Amino acid sequence: MDKELMQALARRAGLDKALAEFPDDVAAAADSANSVTARIKVPADPRAEPWPAMKPGDGL
Amino acid sequence: MNAGGEAKGEAGHGLHFMTVTAAAHAIAHKELSPVDLMKAHLARIEKLQPTLNAFIRLDAEGALKAAHAAEVEATAGRLRGPLHGIPVGIKDIIDVAGLPTTCHSKVLQDNVATADAVVVSKLRAAGAIVVGKLSTHEFAIGGPSFDLPWPPARNPWNPDHHPGGSSSGSGSGVAAGLFPMALGTDTGGSVRNPASSCGIVGMKASYGVVSRRGVFPLSFTLDHVGPMTRTVEDNALMLETIVGHDPLDPGSVAAPNGHYRAALDRGAKGLRIGFVRHFHEVDMPADPEMTAGLEHVMRTLQMLGADVRDVRLPSLVEFSAVNRVILQSEAWSIHREWLQKRPGDYGKLARRRLMPGAFLGAGDYVIANKRRAEMIAAVNAALAEVDVLLCASSMDPPCRIDRPAEVERTYPRQARTAFNVTGHPALAMMAGLSSSGVPLSVQFVGRFFDEASVYRVARAWEKASGMDKKHPAIG
Repeated sequence: MDKELMQALARRAGLDKALAEFPDDVAAAADSANSVTARIKVPADPRAEPWPAMKPGDGL
Repeated sequence: MNAGGEAKGEAGHGLHFMTVTAAAHAIAHKELSPVDLMKAHLARIEKLQPTLNAFIRLDAEGALKAAHAAEVEATAGRLRGPLHGIPVGIKDIIDVAGLPTTCHSKVLQDNVATADAVVVSKLRAAGAIVVGKLSTHEFAIGGPSFDLPWPPARNPWNPDHHPGGSSSGSGSGVAAGLFPMALGTDTGGSVRNPASSCGIVGMKASYGVVSRRGVFPLSFTLDHVGPMTRTVEDNALMLETIVGHDPLDPGSVAAPNGHYRAALDRGAKGLRIGFVRHFHEVDMPADPEMTAGLEHVMRTLQMLGADVRDVRLPSLVEFSAVNRVILQSEAWSIHREWLQKRPGDYGKLARRRLMPGAFLGAGDYVIANKRRAEMIAAVNAALAEVDVLLCASSMDPPCRIDRPAEVERTYPRQARTAFNVTGHPALAMMAGLSSSGVPLSVQFVGRFFDEASVYRVARAWEKASGMDKKHPAIG
């Protein structure tokens, strides 16, 4: 992720203060998020349901 | 490797190393005073807290007062329950009425709990006495940090080493004999990591069987509360005390069988055990001493009559990635406003580990949860062929706490997150001692709601190896 995109996403997330005071931490967090998603195999079946499923009723 | 070998580190067996089961039995039979038991632990705490930093907040006065009340009740033959008069330490993300729940963070430094968490209520109803609130990694995610209002806990086997986390004070204090049992929480392995690093027993039961109400969340669908003790039997007893359906916890389920000690001494004979070798041999190659420790556990169980076979699960690297995407997305939803307004009130490690959620998309979260469903099915399929799984917990012995690069390298090298993703019951315990005298570890995993079989195999290993008799020489 390039620096401009990272900063734009950080600002979109409201992290302006963190970006000003802890720029290295924000950059590290962005790198961490960027690298982790690539390690997940996307289920081949587009109909695959995520866990947990929606449950109707008054369980809450 | 010193797995199951000589009793290195064995210390004198004072009251502070008495098991929960033995102490509860002695109190019930008027052979032990709850006040004497509490005083022995408070003396131990006074001696070792300056070295171990297990406590954030010690409530010695309240604990002693409760011990006197317990003594009056015991003398009159009125026992509150199976833990009457037993001291317990509580991780400081779990509410105890009247005491601060700080989450080891400046962010919640003055946050005083107005009510007990459900798990604390259940422990008190069973007669347990809260000794105080215990150190944790900041918000159960940060890491051993030196930039927080309180210092990090240390490992009693060697105080220069990390005790694991995030339930650091729970692991350190139980192993050192500051209290015989503690509550921890486990979102990516945080009960089982300190259990592994400190050589005790830590259990994460099936998702939902222990209420999370009154516990500060890290990740709603991954969070578990779990018991930490020095023996398998004590652990099963503690779990029996804290399980139960809670209609006000949206993730709560009614455990179909809460009798976790029922099969405890049935031994390993006839058990079918699946050995997940690829976790520590291929996915995240383990330290040779850890590998040798796991082989030793496997061979011991085979000699006891278990049928051990290799099984395959999805890659540990992918389990870890799924855990992180879910955890960081859910944690961001909890911490977003504080991270926006008060980023400087977090320590560096927590700040770095909580902000990635800001950079993950909704699609990432849903895909991780789709993959999660497949992973649950894969573990269920493996457990259709065997009764329990045996695998690594940590890939490395606990490292020095003052070497951030080594902490950062070893922290994710573990096989615990897999079972937060799937929700299966998983227990970590000591597999031996390394050549440098710190604990090695093993993990056992069971079918949903079959904690009894996990305890059965763990007890068989404990009995054969004598792991419950090993204590750090500190103090």
